[in-house]
Amino acid sequence: MTDGKAYRRDVLKAGGAAAALGVGGGGFLQTLVESEEDQPSTSGIESFVGQNDVVQTVCSPNCRGKCPIDVHVRDGQVKKIEPHPPEDEQYKRACVLGLSHTQRVYDPTRLKYPMKRADWSPDKPNPQGRGPDAEFERVSWDEALDLVADKMQSLKADHGAESVLFHEGSGNYGQSGKSFKRLASLFGATQSAWGIDTNVGRGFNRVTGVGAFLPPTNEAEDWENANTIIVWGSDILSSQFQMDASKILDAIENGAKLVVVDPVYTTTASKADLWLPVEPGKDVHLALAMMHTVFEDETYDEDFLRKRTTAPALIRKDTGELLKASDVFEDGGENQVVAVERGSGSPVALEPETGGAYALFGEFTVDGVACETALTRLRDHVADYAPEKVAETTGVDAENIRTAIRWLATRGPGGIAPSYALGRYKHGHIFGQAYAMLMGMTGDYGRHGNIHAHHSGGATLAAGDWASPSDADPGPSLTFPEYPDAMIDGDPHKIRAVYSIESNMMGNQFPDRQRFREAIRSLEMYVVADMHHTDTVQHADIILPVPHWFEQEDICSGWGSHPHLGYRHKVQEPMWEAKDDYYAIRGLAERFGYGDRFPETKRDLLRKFAGRDDDIDFDTLFEQGTQKKESVPIVKYTDAFPTETGRIKMYDDEAPSEEGVTFDVPRPLEDRTADDYEKADEYPLMFMQKHSRFRIHSQYEMLNWVREINPEPQLDIHPKDAKARGIDDGEYVRVYNDRGEMVVKAKYNDAFQPGLVNTDQGWWSRDFVEGHLQDLTHNEVSEVGQTMAFYDVRVAVESAPDDVDTDKYGSDNPRGSGAKATPTGGD
Amino acid sequence: MTKHGLVIDQERCIGCQACAVSCKQENNVPMGQFWNRVLTEGGEKMDTPSGGYPEDGGSGSLDMQYQPTACQHCENAPCVKVCPVNATYTRDDGIVEIDYDKCIGCRYCMAACPYNARVFNWDEPEHMPEEGTGDVEARPQGVVEKCTFCSHRVDEGLDPACVVNCPADARIFGDLDDESSTVSKYIDKYETDQLLEDRGTDPNTYYISGEMSPGRPQTSDKMESELDDVSPWSDGDDDVPSKEADSAGGESSGSSHSVEGGEIPYATPAKSGGDD
Repeated sequence: MTDGKAYRRDVLKAGGAAAALGVGGGGFLQTLVESEEDQPSTSGIESFVGQNDVVQTVCSPNCRGKCPIDVHVRDGQVKKIEPHPPEDEQYKRACVLGLSHTQRVYDPTRLKYPMKRADWSPDKPNPQGRGPDAEFERVSWDEALDLVADKMQSLKADHGAESVLFHEGSGNYGQSGKSFKRLASLFGATQSAWGIDTNVGRGFNRVTGVGAFLPPTNEAEDWENANTIIVWGSDILSSQFQMDASKILDAIENGAKLVVVDPVYTTTASKADLWLPVEPGKDVHLALAMMHTVFEDETYDEDFLRKRTTAPALIRKDTGELLKASDVFEDGGENQVVAVERGSGSPVALEPETGGAYALFGEFTVDGVACETALTRLRDHVADYAPEKVAETTGVDAENIRTAIRWLATRGPGGIAPSYALGRYKHGHIFGQAYAMLMGMTGDYGRHGNIHAHHSGGATLAAGDWASPSDADPGPSLTFPEYPDAMIDGDPHKIRAVYSIESNMMGNQFPDRQRFREAIRSLEMYVVADMHHTDTVQHADIILPVPHWFEQEDICSGWGSHPHLGYRHKVQEPMWEAKDDYYAIRGLAERFGYGDRFPETKRDLLRKFAGRDDDIDFDTLFEQGTQKKESVPIVKYTDAFPTETGRIKMYDDEAPSEEGVTFDVPRPLEDRTADDYEKADEYPLMFMQKHSRFRIHSQYEMLNWVREINPEPQLDIHPKDAKARGIDDGEYVRVYNDRGEMVVKAKYNDAFQPGLVNTDQGWWSRDFVEGHLQDLTHNEVSEVGQTMAFYDVRVAVESAPDDVDTDKYGSDNPRGSGAKATPTGGD
Repeated sequence: MTKHGLVIDQERCIGCQACAVSCKQENNVPMGQFWNRVLTEGGEKMDTPSGGYPEDGGSGSLDMQYQPTACQHCENAPCVKVCPVNATYTRDDGIVEIDYDKCIGCRYCMAACPYNARVFNWDEPEHMPEEGTGDVEARPQGVVEKCTFCSHRVDEGLDPACVVNCPADARIFGDLDDESSTVSKYIDKYETDQLLEDRGTDPNTYYISGEMSPGRPQTSDKMESELDDVSPWSDGDDDVPSKEADSAGGESSGSSHSVEGGEIPYATPAKSGGDD
């Protein structure tokens, strides 16, 4: 990196000017230059190339990029962004959003000063004042932190520390969360537990012992070794893997077959050798038909099944439990399962990672107990799912189902790359169980070219027990879906105050938005720290302005992306009075009496963290900007599985149940996609909210370049569904159900399955003509999955009322809401 | 001689718009204008396919591809011919450029360009941030502007911004006069088209479709000619699938890049032609 002193001084000076003038709005950049002689002069300059100071830093949202970037600064201003290849250059990456920070860093939605809702006080919270009409007044940082600390302390004294919730989102891939959790642990506050995109991983975990969100998968650099890639329910080239698109394209170029399973003909589907247009919610049926085919063709990997799965394990026919070695042998383990050796017919206890001449199929009697193998049980179970029968359920051609799985089973190593979308159906965990077992049948674990998720694992920073020190007495945790009941009804315990960082969830991204707003209104204090004036911030009582990433030094993890850590160097000092989350966290810690538990400077903190991770050298990371974490295995699943048997479970005798269905083997269970769902006639269309290439959750909504390409929220609808309702292409439509409504523009799109409509996620309230897409979604989760089911939603669609005001997208305002900024704090 | 050319592999292009936006950023292109648009070959609107959703559960007839489209830097450029003041000219290295000081805003060139690649500053150009971005001085009101192949970068030995910033490695820049360059090799080995070949403009921009190429070989922002190890390709052709080899996958749509009806597909969000 360059010295950069000159431009830092300029920006500091300029920031002071802007602060003094208190200027906001689209033209505020004018105030960044104090006088005529500071005006950047362009006369006589033939080329600006090489005239810039270049700072290597990291783009840090919760996407699959974590892209190291070069920020070019000239005359005290960010002029452009370019990708910077990381230490391992094959992970060079960038996308349309990260390249556009030039606009984000100066956007008028940026928060400038700590603010307090004008009609809020600790004793009189006046909750009805929250919302779109709330007004804020500027306070000093000390005032803001005093108010927050005093209120938290008094709530702790009166109601217990758990009445305060520390809510952390995913909006910044630095290390703030670790200190946030540390403070929460020391205080004893309730901490947030994830309830989004955890469904599929839970199901996979039950089978393999690993997987939280999506399971681990081989790092992206290995994907070119795949011979078959089944991308399941993911527009991987738009929403998850676009920064690593070259890796999938290289696999295709190398001869891999690409199969895409999706109700939508996506960009990814357009690249596929075979597209399976499955109906929403029918994925488990399809996976079972694939298992059926593998049994029918006898293309299962016998050696793998014997060595690494419980396929040969015996199930007691009397109890349905697995026969345990302790039942058969005097010295047998209670967790060990038993197989039968072919030829001798004698029982043998199964060890992890150990092959043998075990019978995969058959019925046997051991010590007088009638048994059958787990694989026999599975084969019998999927006998009902012949492709021809499943074709009727799923809408997918039977022969294409066979072709897809035959490619995976017979063309060498490959994998299934499922998405988070599958987990956005209520019972999505069942799919996780199903495909984990299906890949066990094809033997696709632990080899080069295996794929288990639609993004790779990447590297994280190991910081030991920093977040939860051993002497702390941490409070309980609360999952996202539990928030409203806790805040409104005190179930399981009453939440009275929330401190939120890195999140636009409660005001924008959580389902059933009206109920979440009611939940916010039942709080005594809502503290929100953010970079921008989001919908969530508009509902806050105390607003803490956080600087743009280019103004916060940090170590960025490459989780879900690539096996590097990145050093996020500051490009410029924070503008206005924005301050790093760590400043507020440490400030509160001091007020609570834990100040000495937090290093004084962020740099010291980061150095401490790096010192806890054996793979990272702070100085190397700092100087190089990125460091590849060599301990991250490129190929996963090479060792014994962390299950009781050390093997993949092909049968689960301790399986959970829900709604009367037990998941000993994968059994389809649907909610709103079920053919007999009670309100299917009233709300005939399934409604999803696809991740698009134009957002990371709700981040980057304000980018004007991007808004020229993608100006407003739309409803993707098949022309047949639209015409049946008298809806023209481009007409505004009302989308509604029994929770709420939104008004958006209809977009005829033949890519969408009839019966399925979509609005891309990530739009803010200000972008909608009426309502919001989260007014339509619900917060019902399955007992096993505990994951918000955003796509398991039904709606009806009709032409918008004539009197609906669509001026914001009229000809006078061609760039939509980009031309009308939300008033920012401090204006 | 050097003749700069661009190869765009449409089999690799994922329509992500990184090239469109990084072009605006690098070249300080005014709000409302695009020098480089990512067009959808398919339905009438961006990101929509042609054909119908399969009713029988098969793969059906849906088809979609992306066609990034900017100035094609024609060998026989009609815009150069019609310019009454010689403001548009062809450099010795094949890049078609505009001398904005000479441009009188008559817009004959826009009428002559069959690729809809030029835009006109009807109003005082606006930039966000207002002081502009990138490495090129803003153009005034009343002139026509367009893609320059980032000549200001090329002169410094750097690839155009759109090429460096493509996450799919779908854009390859190089010297068409050098037989050993990656662009020359790809044009030789893959099925490539120039847009509207029948117009006789002979563009220096080529589009690959059918069989996918390995894409841009270098991670560096430098032009291939600036690198010691020119490219992995210079070691031999082992990695280059031949035309005869089995299709490596990536459904060959068979659709032509010669844009049907003699028109560049209309792109809804981008202001085409600059007269709106």
